[in-house]
Amino acid sequence: MYSHLPHKADPNPPQPTTLRGRRPEFTDDPMLDRLYAITLALVTELSVTRARVDTLERLLERKGLVDSSEVENFTPDESEAAKRGDIQQQYLDRIFRVLTE
Amino acid sequence: MPRMHHPLPWHRIAHHDMLVETTHDERARLDTIAHLNVFAAQRLAPTVKTAFERKGVTPSDRHEVRQAMERDPAFRAWSLVRRNTMEMRQKTGRDIVGRQRESLREKADRLNAAKGSQQSRLHLDPSLDVPRYVSGVDQHLMQGGYTAEWLDRDVSNAANYDAGMFATVGGSAGPHNDAAGRALCEWLRREFPAFVPSRIVDLGCGLGHNTLPLRQIFPTAEIIAVDVAAPMLRYGHARARALGVDDIEFRQEDATRTSLSSHSVDLVFSTMVLHETSHEALPRLLQESHRLLRGGGLCIHLEQPPYRGLNPFEQFMRDWDGRYNNEPFWSALHESDLRQMMTKVGFREDLVFETRCVAPSWQSSRPTEEDFGRAPAWYAVGAWQAVEGSTAEG
Repeated sequence: MYSHLPHKADPNPPQPTTLRGRRPEFTDDPMLDRLYAITLALVTELSVTRARVDTLERLLERKGLVDSSEVENFTPDESEAAKRGDIQQQYLDRIFRVLTE
Repeated sequence: MPRMHHPLPWHRIAHHDMLVETTHDERARLDTIAHLNVFAAQRLAPTVKTAFERKGVTPSDRHEVRQAMERDPAFRAWSLVRRNTMEMRQKTGRDIVGRQRESLREKADRLNAAKGSQQSRLHLDPSLDVPRYVSGVDQHLMQGGYTAEWLDRDVSNAANYDAGMFATVGGSAGPHNDAAGRALCEWLRREFPAFVPSRIVDLGCGLGHNTLPLRQIFPTAEIIAVDVAAPMLRYGHARARALGVDDIEFRQEDATRTSLSSHSVDLVFSTMVLHETSHEALPRLLQESHRLLRGGGLCIHLEQPPYRGLNPFEQFMRDWDGRYNNEPFWSALHESDLRQMMTKVGFREDLVFETRCVAPSWQSSRPTEEDFGRAPAWYAVGAWQAVEGSTAEG
């Protein structure tokens, strides 16, 4: 309601995220450029997650709790497999939402 | 899959008290970005070359290559990966720094205020008229560029620069990100082992990555690192001290008109500064090197190679930063005849030279021949200052 009124400036404003200088477009469709940007961010984040899993495995191994062959040869039991199946299906459902909804 | 070299991971870069604190995932993110850069250079760039060769055109210059390649899918995909990798690297660094910027500032304050040696000084000049060609550009997609301050006595952008540089260059600059400085030292030691400067000036030192190696080969010289950007100097002086280098002076000055006296310096150098200097300021920077040097002194500026002598395709690939990475002076610099500019500002023509400086590998366990092809190497333009009374023959 009072948003049009002057307010006290934050003495320590956060660093702005906008960049001076035009962001180039490399494809003929601006949405495709954006899709690339999002995909590359996902590529990065998946790699970060993979590194975290690797860290956990290495720590478990160092502490002698699990050795790497146990991870490689892991077979889920029936109920674990069912839970994992659910996770996979929900994951694909979210990824391909745009094709199915 | 062809075997690619592994970029230097975060845990192998030099750690010091000014370096940001990171979480597991932030480190993994930076490491991934370093890998993406290596992937873009080693796996994707060759696909652009192949696509160009298949077109069967014989361009007379890089502009014709661009016309042929601008719409090519291989070029576009490579560009999208490069550009986004740069943007992600900046965001990652910004997020890391953003949540600890006050504590980074305190660390810098503490290190800078500590009683150190006489030669270790931080001299800031708030009244300095910072040139627009520096303050007005977000160089290589760094929000706010070198000079922006988001807090009083801010070091944010410098901390971001230091934390993420290894990722940008795929680790090729070594644990201290100082390959250009080490390349210069190696060149000096090999070519002019008897040259021992007593006063050294680094023009446009940034946070001093490439200044520090000079201290190792010239332990008693007075070293003055000059830059217009206060955040870089604050961070740089603190970083030097954190690394145990307590005898370099960091001064906030314009490299094109320093307050240092004429003919008072034996070695003037810069690393990767010319391409971030405007066309108008560039001759003035070279002129300043000339003014500062004593007779018998040396100036040398390390850069990416000029386009002259490169084939049009390589020129086109190297021009990418000028077009897409916020480097507005890049293209013109690489088309400039720096030798001629040096002569124009007063260096004697026969004392001006161009050379190549190669950094020795930081991985001493590796055989040299294996590393040579990908060792960080720079073009350099330089000149010796004529000794008064000497002639071209003398």
